[in-house]
Amino acid sequence: MADGVLSPGVNLEAFSHAIAAIQALRSSVTRVFDCLKDGMRNKETLEGREKGFVAAFQESLHSVSRDLGELERLSNLVGKPSENHPLHNSGLLSLDPVQDKTPLYSQLLQAYKWSNKLQYHAGLASGLLNQQSLKRSANQMGVSAKRRPKAQPTTLVLPAQYVDDVINRIDRMFPEMSIQLSRPNGTSAMLLVTLGKVLKVIVVMRSLFIDRTIVKGYNENVYTEDGKLDIWSKSNYQVFQKVTDHATTALLHYQLPQMPDVVVRSFMTWLRSYIKLFQAPCQRCGKFLQDGLPPTWRDFRTLEAFHDTCRQ
Amino acid sequence: GQTGKLMYVMHNSEYPLSCFALFENGPCLIADANFDILMVKLKGFFQNAKANKIESRGTRYQYCDFLVKVGTVTMGPSARGISVEVEYCPCVIANDCWNLLMEFMQSFMGNHAPGIPSVFGTKHDSIYSPADTMVQYMELFNKIRKQQQVPVAGIR
Repeated sequence: MADGVLSPGVNLEAFSHAIAAIQALRSSVTRVFDCLKDGMRNKETLEGREKGFVAAFQESLHSVSRDLGELERLSNLVGKPSENHPLHNSGLLSLDPVQDKTPLYSQLLQAYKWSNKLQYHAGLASGLLNQQSLKRSANQMGVSAKRRPKAQPTTLVLPAQYVDDVINRIDRMFPEMSIQLSRPNGTSAMLLVTLGKVLKVIVVMRSLFIDRTIVKGYNENVYTEDGKLDIWSKSNYQVFQKVTDHATTALLHYQLPQMPDVVVRSFMTWLRSYIKLFQAPCQRCGKFLQDGLPPTWRDFRTLEAFHDTCRQ
Repeated sequence: GQTGKLMYVMHNSEYPLSCFALFENGPCLIADANFDILMVKLKGFFQNAKANKIESRGTRYQYCDFLVKVGTVTMGPSARGISVEVEYCPCVIANDCWNLLMEFMQSFMGNHAPGIPSVFGTKHDSIYSPADTMVQYMELFNKIRKQQQVPVAGIR
């Protein structure tokens, strides 16, 4: 019988002999216990009975050891299955016959394919993103410590008092806009900007750079149950979700690495144009509503109101 | 001598735990739902006016940030008209978004879109509250009560 194609290391003939040897071993062990169970045969003298019993018992034990030796010899001939398992341990998992209750292997395969795809897409995305420099701070990455000048002022680490002063000055700039500053989580400032009775904006900062904004309605709750500022939950209204997206675009648009306070001022000026969110018609189509939304886009230079679909 | 003033007790399914009690041009009280039972206890001071119970029942629709409620107004067993309520939820200042609301209403009501409600005139920059909705409903129901049995669409 030729060796199996799948596992060339296994000697199939020796394998079948070994299985037969196991059966022989089983039957000889059974015979030993049968002999013990039957006990002594009925013979004339006690001595004869004892001798007969002992002889039968010895013979059965010998046959057991003979069969065991045969099995050991054959098992050495069978050999190991081949080592080129490309799947190693996960391949053993695929041998599980109960696929319905424990679909581990198929789930494992899916997870693996998904993570491969994710890695590939992430590689593509990082290639595309690196084409546009998005660094808003003045620090230079990748410059070695030796070449970086020792006394370079960095705008990423500004004293908290300076940030407070800048924000307070902006607060006084516009009467309809009020800014509340707090530092619940470490050194980064969190602003709650209230614009008239139209909307509330939560701005998360990193020294004087604006990191994230969330825009919510005037009547929506901006605090969590603990009383802290809720910086994660989105607005319940579609119009404010749209304005949040526009605000995020704006904070990326206004960039001046060396003068972050000018950036914050421009952002607040842009934000203030939303005081007429519900009153201003779109400058291009003249209507108030488009897909149920008022003009939510404010041009970065002219601060005119446009619908999201009407701009450019 | 004083002529009795009419007080309306109203319920709104949008605010199921509340009860609204309002006078014609007077204040509006927003109370707990147990107010009805309290009124029964105060039978000595208030007389139940002869008018029947009037109610508007219908479906509630949501489009983007708009809430539209279309209902049939019934007085007793007979239907008297149709009521359409339009609310723009994100805006809390009444006067700000009137033009926006008009544009929306004209898109599906055409010529039947109403004029600016009277409650908007009195409050200039104060925040809209559920009591204002009830005042508008009260005016609508009074208008329907005064009409004859011919059903006419009454729209706010």
